[in-house]
Amino acid sequence: MRWRVMTAAGALVAVGALLVGCSGGDSSGSDDSTAGGPVTLDYWAWGTAQDPMVDAWNKAHPDIQVKHTDAGGGTDSSAKLLTATRAGNAPDVSVVEYQTLPAMIVGDVAADITDYVDDDLKSKFTDSTWGLTTFNDAIYGIPQDVGPMAFVYNQKRLDELGVPVPTTWAEFKTAAQAVHTADPSAYLATFNTSEFGFFAGMAQQAGAKWWSVDGDKWTVGIDDEASQQVADYWQDLIDNDLIKVEDLLTPQWNQEVNAGQVLSWPSALWAPGVIYGVAESMAGQWAMAPLPQWTPGDSKVAYQGGSAVVVTTSSKHPKEAAEFAAWINSTDEGAGIQLSTGQYPASTLGQTKAETSDPPLLMPQQTDFWKLASTIAGNTIPNISWGPNVNVAQSAFQDAMAKAVQDGTPLRDALTATQKVVVDDMKTTGFDVSE
Amino acid sequence: MTTTTTAPTTTSTGSIPTTRRSRRSPIAPYVFVAPAVVLFVAFLLVPMLYSVYLSFRGLRLMPGGAFGKREEVFIGFGNYVSALSDRDFLAGFGRLAIYGAIAVPLTLGLALLFALLLDLGATKAKRFSRTAIFIPYAVPGVVATLMWGFMYLPLTSPFSYITEQLGWGTIPFLENPEIFGSVANIAIWGGVGFNMIIIYTSLRGIPSELFDAARIDGANEWQIAWRIKVPLVTPALVLTGLFALIGTLQVYGEPTTLRPMTSAISQTWVPLMTIYRDAFVRDDLPRAAAGSVFLAVCTVALSVILLRLTQKRAFGES
Repeated sequence: MRWRVMTAAGALVAVGALLVGCSGGDSSGSDDSTAGGPVTLDYWAWGTAQDPMVDAWNKAHPDIQVKHTDAGGGTDSSAKLLTATRAGNAPDVSVVEYQTLPAMIVGDVAADITDYVDDDLKSKFTDSTWGLTTFNDAIYGIPQDVGPMAFVYNQKRLDELGVPVPTTWAEFKTAAQAVHTADPSAYLATFNTSEFGFFAGMAQQAGAKWWSVDGDKWTVGIDDEASQQVADYWQDLIDNDLIKVEDLLTPQWNQEVNAGQVLSWPSALWAPGVIYGVAESMAGQWAMAPLPQWTPGDSKVAYQGGSAVVVTTSSKHPKEAAEFAAWINSTDEGAGIQLSTGQYPASTLGQTKAETSDPPLLMPQQTDFWKLASTIAGNTIPNISWGPNVNVAQSAFQDAMAKAVQDGTPLRDALTATQKVVVDDMKTTGFDVSE
Repeated sequence: MTTTTTAPTTTSTGSIPTTRRSRRSPIAPYVFVAPAVVLFVAFLLVPMLYSVYLSFRGLRLMPGGAFGKREEVFIGFGNYVSALSDRDFLAGFGRLAIYGAIAVPLTLGLALLFALLLDLGATKAKRFSRTAIFIPYAVPGVVATLMWGFMYLPLTSPFSYITEQLGWGTIPFLENPEIFGSVANIAIWGGVGFNMIIIYTSLRGIPSELFDAARIDGANEWQIAWRIKVPLVTPALVLTGLFALIGTLQVYGEPTTLRPMTSAISQTWVPLMTIYRDAFVRDDLPRAAAGSVFLAVCTVALSVILLRLTQKRAFGES
């Protein structure tokens, strides 16, 4: 009798000890440094440029060590940042795309670092670049790279088929026709229903303003005239089977690129690095040209992607974090690494350095790549404003576009549906939106 | 250990026990059950209650200019209204119905068929077949879906390769409406083994005198199967049917893993995907909580209906 109770009690104690022991592992963001001892920062970033930059920093700064984690691409990592901040284990520093930055501010993820930006740092970027991370006169991030839109194409195949590089979107249509007629298995480009950033860039190039704010009042223009014009343009290409509707960077797409069945990717300056990652054997066959324009003779382009480094509100070492962000984004060493991996630096130092660098690995034959890049960067549309719920807009856009393509309904309607979801969401959250 | 004697040791209860029972009520059962209860409360009950609590809250903008900060406040049934008036969410249930109509009957039907075949005396290679049918269940869901995904993609599909060589073009596995069959196929492939084992075990429990008696009466194997075996394994069929129903309502892994490979699957193809999107893409955890509470209520309701309907058939004897 007695021993049974004691065995039972002993078992309970053992289980309890096991539970307590198992719950021990806690992954807090940064180590606290009691006086002395290195500070460790957690850094979330994606892309091949990050590891070399972090290694270079760690070597030069033994007292502030940085641990790099790849938390997924722009959409994935920003979703994780929001939940991690709520859970209290967000990293100290993270890369955030410009379009997601307002949502990060509203979600209380990005910290205000105006105090850590001294005049010296301010002079390292142009005013319009700072505009990408400044809201309500507060600076929320240090720009890392910019992605002015450009046209990356398979030069070898286009030359073979005798198709000239398009300089306007009308010429793009003609070129698409020529490509598909000459080789029915090939397409000039693919249309991807989940490329929100690309579509937004094209709409902005056509003059659309998807979000604009006047004092406290927001205006949402996702289905304005200019955007619908873009939707109609792609609708026309899809209906005439001149471009293929397919998701980017899937195994299928990668195979088609390698086989010469997808001949271009209208995107941004960072595209060569991405294509090189999936089609190394095509080095030397691709080239870059300015993005086609709506009006002949124009040269303005929008940004697609590009990101900044933010210091999170959960960081216990904001000063060191800001120092790290400033170093990798504005020093010579950081810029060198960015260029070698295909990022176009946001800093003026980096952009100047670019002009004397080797062209990206995908197109070693295009020696004027960086000169062209700097011209393109100089022609970007200033003051593009993103709204506080870009993540909602992106998901609504992807669903609406995929549905439209599946059902064969006009892409215009997808834009209208997206507009409705975005406006409703902003109103529900409490923003002042004008109709 | 019981005792009916005497006074000095029974101090807790003053009254004289009227039935034989131990003088101290045993605490060992409680001690053994305690860890399970603790884990249940901590990891199931508390999160469920928190979810319900969260579903009545919402993230609203606190004043602060154009870029204020969002905070959690109480908003009553707002999330439920919003989730239930979301056409995508409700459409997801419709798709679940189609998917379930394909997956559940086929899974159970095939499981029953294989179990019956394995139970027949005349079948050869029983152990090998049992293992072979069960192995797909052991393949992790994501791996299975990726594997089938590559078998569906036109460029890498062996089936499409054959039909292409024969001149018939590629098989549209990943287009609407074939996508339902394709996704259901993955679930059927993985689920038949598990369900078959349950039904087979139930079959093995039937006393063989019944079959001997039937054979003496002149019944052939087909009649024995249809008129004796199947009715007697109805409880197992109801059980597997219930699992299949609950599994259908919660399908998430297959569509999500297949999504990068096809544009026929949207972000909100099934209700759980919509809930995930609300929680982590749209950053609206309370709305996702409302959606999951609704889904849980539907699951419980359907299970209760199923059990009520089959109660007589399945458990009527007792």
